[in-house]
Amino acid sequence: MTRDYQGDDMIIANNVDKIYPNGCHALNQVSATIKRGEVVVVVGPSGSGKSTFLRTLNQLETINSGNITIDGTDMYDKKTDINQLREEVGMVFQSFNLFPHKDVLANVMLAPMKVAKRPKAEVEQLAKKLLIKVGLKDRMFNYPNNLSGGQQQRVAIARALAMEPNIMLFDEPTSALDPEMVGEVLDVMKSLAAEGMTMVVVTHEMGFAKEVADRVLFMESGQLLVDSDPESFFDNPTNPRLQQFLSMII
Amino acid sequence: MHTQPNKLLWHSAFVAILLALALAIQASSDRINYQWNWHRVTPYILNTEPTPIFAEQNGNIIENAQGQLLFESESGDQRLDLSQFEQVMVSEGDTIFEGDQVASQPQWQFGPIIQGLGVTIEISIYSLVFAIILGLAFGLMRVSHNIVLRNLAITYVEIIRGTPLLVQIFIIYFFVGTVLELERFTSGVIALAVFTGAYVAEITRGGIQSIPKGQMEAARSLGMTYLQAMYYVILPQAFKRVLPPLAGQFINLIKDSSLVSVIAITDLTKAGREVVSGSFAPFEVWFTVALLYLLLTGSLSWGVQRLEKRLAASD
Repeated sequence: MTRDYQGDDMIIANNVDKIYPNGCHALNQVSATIKRGEVVVVVGPSGSGKSTFLRTLNQLETINSGNITIDGTDMYDKKTDINQLREEVGMVFQSFNLFPHKDVLANVMLAPMKVAKRPKAEVEQLAKKLLIKVGLKDRMFNYPNNLSGGQQQRVAIARALAMEPNIMLFDEPTSALDPEMVGEVLDVMKSLAAEGMTMVVVTHEMGFAKEVADRVLFMESGQLLVDSDPESFFDNPTNPRLQQFLSMII
Repeated sequence: MHTQPNKLLWHSAFVAILLALALAIQASSDRINYQWNWHRVTPYILNTEPTPIFAEQNGNIIENAQGQLLFESESGDQRLDLSQFEQVMVSEGDTIFEGDQVASQPQWQFGPIIQGLGVTIEISIYSLVFAIILGLAFGLMRVSHNIVLRNLAITYVEIIRGTPLLVQIFIIYFFVGTVLELERFTSGVIALAVFTGAYVAEITRGGIQSIPKGQMEAARSLGMTYLQAMYYVILPQAFKRVLPPLAGQFINLIKDSSLVSVIAITDLTKAGREVVSGSFAPFEVWFTVALLYLLLTGSLSWGVQRLEKRLAASD
């Protein structure tokens, strides 16, 4: 069981290549190591492969070559059960993807009950605890369509946390939100980071990257060009492509 | 200011058109001197004719100590208490021959039309259940990534949709039915289920594909297997979306079931044909049959509408 993994390297991506069937070279020899408890923010222009990279980390996208080790388990080892591995990697999507036919509480409870097969009473307690954490306990019997975008995204975070993952992946979690709701989602993510969760965040929120990230990665055209701490990333960028990117967004 | 349509006026116009249609039917039947005899149809719906009671052997009518009439056979080994019948047609001392009517008993039983309706309902329900199973299985195969399963599903759907149901009924009855020694009813159910199943498979596929990809991704990212994600996340949502087309398909199934009358299953349509030759009232019989079909399909769509309303809770 990888749950017993005690090592420090939570995610090791080694020379990962991804070529889509249409010939698009989405990831080109990407290598990165993410340590336990680290918050890593991935930035880059659209189409740079940053979302693809994130999605390879729980095999929503398969890779063409290279290898990925998650939580001590080689993802492409024949003996690896990908469903079991995914239980340890929570994911939050740009478009929330809550289950619209279930209320908030049932959304959070579904996976722990049906996948982890934990008893209902225990899961319900856990779910309520998580909904308090994201500040939505009073919305637990609402359906997703009756919630604002920010509320939906917070439920999505609670739903991912309900599997008690060791790693959380965020795929542009605030990009689909109205500006006034971005803060509430970022606050939940910050508190998660403060608790020591290993996080990989694809985002355009440079403020979040500066404030919370331990490391910032810059991707362009499927290549990982910069991997550095936020201070030198934002204040002393040496890579000319990064300089150009930063000059455009700030 | 925007003027509101005069509702009363338009409702009256609607009623007037219906009345005109009814009058037109009346007028056209008058033109061919058709005599409407609805009472000829009723015994075929509900038969209230008393059952005649016949003597099974030669014998006599006697009276016992309580003053009740009895039929006693010549050999004395059979006695029939006539007081149990409502209407006794013999009196004491009568000599009775085998086959004579001694009494009659009032009763009521469903006529052939209602029995045919029962067969139609039965065949529709069986076909419906199997069509749902077939349609779900082949619909899932159709969206599967496995090439064998997907091609099998495509082949099934294309063959069934590309041939007439009547031909399929004949093939299943004369070929499959003969090889496997099936009863006609079973053949009929198989033909209807296989036919409707192909359409349900296409509806299922459409429903599954209409659910945003993110739903499957979210379910899989939580550790669910493909089948768990289908069962807990995709299919419940797809079901809600396909309910209207599915209802239409099931209404078609009820109507298509009339075709099984060609393999001599006495469903509502076949019963209607038989009753026409017995009652000489074709217009009345066919109108009755049509009305009964309308009742079946109408209650089905009413039920589905209620279900849709209940499922709309999360919208």
